[in-house]
Amino acid sequence: MSLDIDSHIRHSTRHIGRSVPRREDRGPLTGRGRYVADIKIVGMLEVVLVRSIEAHARIVSIDTSEALAVEGVQAVFTAADLADVKTFPDYIPYIGPVKQRPLAEDRVRYVGAPYAAVVAVDRYIAEDAAALVAAGTTYEPLPTVADLDQALAPGAPTLHDHWESNYSFDVATHKPEVDHAFEQADHTFSETYVSQRQTGLPMETRGVVADITDGTLTVWSSTQSPHMVRSTVALMLGMPEPQVRVVHPTIGGGFGTKTHIYPEDIVVPWIARRLDQPARWIEDRMENLVASVHAREQRHDVEVAYDDDGTIRGVRCASMLDMGSGEIFMPGTAPVFVTNACITGGYDFPNMQARTIGVVTNKTPAGAYRGFGIPEGAFVMERIIDRVARLTGTDRVELRRRMLVRPGQTPYVMHGGGRLDSGSHTESFERALEMAQPALERARARYAGDPDVRVGVGFSNYVEPTSPSYHLTTGHWGGGDAATVRVDPDGSVRVAAGLSAIGQGAETTAAQLAADALGVSPENVTVVLGDTERAPYGLGSWGSRGAMMLTGSVLLASERLMDKARAIAAHMLEAAEADIVLTDGAFHVAGSDQPSVSWAEVGTAAWIRYVDLPDGMEPGLETSGYFHPENLQHQLDDTGKINAAASWSNGAHIGVVSVRVSTGEVRIEDYVVVHDCGTVINPALVEGQVHGGVAQGIAGAMYEHFQYDPDTANPRFASFMDYLVPTCAEVPRMEVDHFESPAPEQPLGVKGCGEGGTVGPPAVVAGAVSDALSEWGVDLTECPVTPVAVRAAIRSAGAAGAGAAGAGS
Amino acid sequence: MTIREPTSEVDVEISINGRRHRHRVPARLLLSDYIRDTVGLTGTHLGCEHGYCGACTVIVDGDAVRSCLMLAAQVDGAEVRTVEDLAPAGSDSLSPMQQAFHDNHALQCGFCTAGFLMTLESVDPGDWTGRERIVELLSGNLCRCTGYQNIVDAVTEAWSAYHGSGGSNDG
Repeated sequence: MSLDIDSHIRHSTRHIGRSVPRREDRGPLTGRGRYVADIKIVGMLEVVLVRSIEAHARIVSIDTSEALAVEGVQAVFTAADLADVKTFPDYIPYIGPVKQRPLAEDRVRYVGAPYAAVVAVDRYIAEDAAALVAAGTTYEPLPTVADLDQALAPGAPTLHDHWESNYSFDVATHKPEVDHAFEQADHTFSETYVSQRQTGLPMETRGVVADITDGTLTVWSSTQSPHMVRSTVALMLGMPEPQVRVVHPTIGGGFGTKTHIYPEDIVVPWIARRLDQPARWIEDRMENLVASVHAREQRHDVEVAYDDDGTIRGVRCASMLDMGSGEIFMPGTAPVFVTNACITGGYDFPNMQARTIGVVTNKTPAGAYRGFGIPEGAFVMERIIDRVARLTGTDRVELRRRMLVRPGQTPYVMHGGGRLDSGSHTESFERALEMAQPALERARARYAGDPDVRVGVGFSNYVEPTSPSYHLTTGHWGGGDAATVRVDPDGSVRVAAGLSAIGQGAETTAAQLAADALGVSPENVTVVLGDTERAPYGLGSWGSRGAMMLTGSVLLASERLMDKARAIAAHMLEAAEADIVLTDGAFHVAGSDQPSVSWAEVGTAAWIRYVDLPDGMEPGLETSGYFHPENLQHQLDDTGKINAAASWSNGAHIGVVSVRVSTGEVRIEDYVVVHDCGTVINPALVEGQVHGGVAQGIAGAMYEHFQYDPDTANPRFASFMDYLVPTCAEVPRMEVDHFESPAPEQPLGVKGCGEGGTVGPPAVVAGAVSDALSEWGVDLTECPVTPVAVRAAIRSAGAAGAGAAGAGS
Repeated sequence: MTIREPTSEVDVEISINGRRHRHRVPARLLLSDYIRDTVGLTGTHLGCEHGYCGACTVIVDGDAVRSCLMLAAQVDGAEVRTVEDLAPAGSDSLSPMQQAFHDNHALQCGFCTAGFLMTLESVDPGDWTGRERIVELLSGNLCRCTGYQNIVDAVTEAWSAYHGSGGSNDG
């Protein structure tokens, strides 16, 4: 694939690069969107799942008789009824297999684990009956492990019988050069950095509707990956894939949580088949908080070797992921590998030695959340740099400047094999510094007269791997995607792709691409996404892959279509193919004033008026393209390295905060983002992705935290009253600027942009608050940075004396 | 006051978007479920069902309410408005606020949008001048996609006529 945009683009008025208004808006704006909970089918039954209230227990018995006696209840199913359903596949060879069944069989391992399904004529009745099933359940409680230390303690109870311990995996690299760095360095220090448990929390919870008609099972699922749901449903229910159709209706946000294939994706279709009646399950928010994946709970035990001049010589990092019970498909293992792969961010820092560990605990299974491990690592690296700067008296900005990947240094191979194909690592930081300087001065002036307030600044220079391989995550799927492009007899264009529309504007993007590739207006392009029956196999929307996958697959299919269209037009114009040009939406003979041939005439010839086709040409005007980035690696190479992403975006975040010392209140005064995702297809959509990502990053930096009782592993959250999602009063205004460093190996130079926004804020906020409170020696090592945490840090740092931070060897 | 069993039924007569509906409904039926399932207007969304996220906001007799915190029986005789009532009837055009949301990319997945629009519809813009007041007004509605910036910008733009040039002050 070439970078030559003009070779791909035929439209005289280019739509790529413009903020074409979104075609997705009208439905939600007028109340005519069609989300999964809006689907109604005659005779549709309501399913409510009964979930464990114990964090770890044997299920001794389930008495369903009272529930079945409730008027309107149609059935109650438990694991025994689903004996004919296969277990979720354990595709990844190096992690402990969990042999997960859709409903827990005789043992539950987290509060929220589903073990029975009640089916009734309406939701209210189903909820009543579910309460009776819960009351009729006898548990034999087992000892729990609520965190990493408990799970790994000698003699700890194990979650999975066939495992020897609660380790799911432990993968270490060893680099002699890092040992050497530690021997040579002036100083070392050790620290533990912690990232807390959070979740993506889309405003729409999950939901599944299933119906059987003429032997075909149709599943409407609020999923980011319909084809993967189809393959898994077919496998587990023992059905041929063509008899399973999975459709995602309008999706109310996903953020990674809807990439997984959940028990309900299997149970609800099974119920529809069993009862031969449509059925639906809509997750409520209280379920959602325990039954949809959590993420980001990691601990990083770090050793750092550094010199007096601030040079960081080497880092050893053992990253440990709390996987919850591990009972989720796909497993939630991959983010911690991404953490270690991306930990060095935009810095030229090869001397990193990583150990990557996954541990199961009696908590909700961990999985994907926008950022997918990147924020956790970025936090560690920036905290290390700030610590070394402080210990050595080096300027924090200068130290970063010394370390950043410089212009001309790309392609740059990171310590784990990630290949920064292009980027603006230094330029983005410099631009962000320019933008932040007035903000810092404003904040200092604003609080100059307030002795209770300190102002600080924090930094993050990160990379965002985009369009990744899914092989390491799933052990099964790869990393390509397909599109089909068709021109109908009336000249209308239809694009169908395996990508999913999850609110990010994928339909608008696909229309822009096809419009420019075929020389038509976006209004003439119909886009079909997220329906396994109408679109070719694709892996859906995750991993910031939509922009690149759509670009690759739509352009590939469009070029093939253009070849045929040009041949038809040449025949109709009685000219040589080489002389045919496409301008203003019609085919002409170059340099001639002959009448033109429109797309409608070409489409009509191809489908209907065969007399207008060249002799022997096969009719039809529909082509497909399957795009697989050539540079994408799916397996480790001989040296244990991998470039598991097709391209790497980058960014610099700087935040200015004020901290009220007496209360610990933190206010983000200004937040600056400089972002580089290569060629931008739609600037408004990219900026929207940045805004939303930063808001979620700030949520993790300052507010959101799933806490569990250490003695019982019971969740200490049940609603939005305990899990604090930021409102517009908490999220600051952001100032965003862009660089465009085209991806040299990708069509149009496009990179992904979906996740980068989430990466910076934890590092930025912790760095800025530590900076603001430097006179107390505060050096934060975990988030969320709540008022309580800030006050505790001031007190403990104060108690240890102002020299607490000078503890390096 | 009569205490009823939750499953006993009551007769209600409710005007929704100017149309009169008569139903016999369970006494415990939430207004949100009544609007969505009984009447069939699914533009009102359920984001939390505990009164926090604001996605299900509708207008009852002029006031914004969370329809997941009210029973259908409570609005017997009331006038209810939902998001379906905002765009001018019988045309393809949008209301000025809907248009401003579209123009400012103030929605992504769109699930929370109806709640924001109904909160905004329920107030007199003249009472909410300036960015800080707009933020205060919208702080009861959660959005997970946009980071709120474009929503606040959209409102500022849509209400600029009420607020004059002072409406766009940063704060």
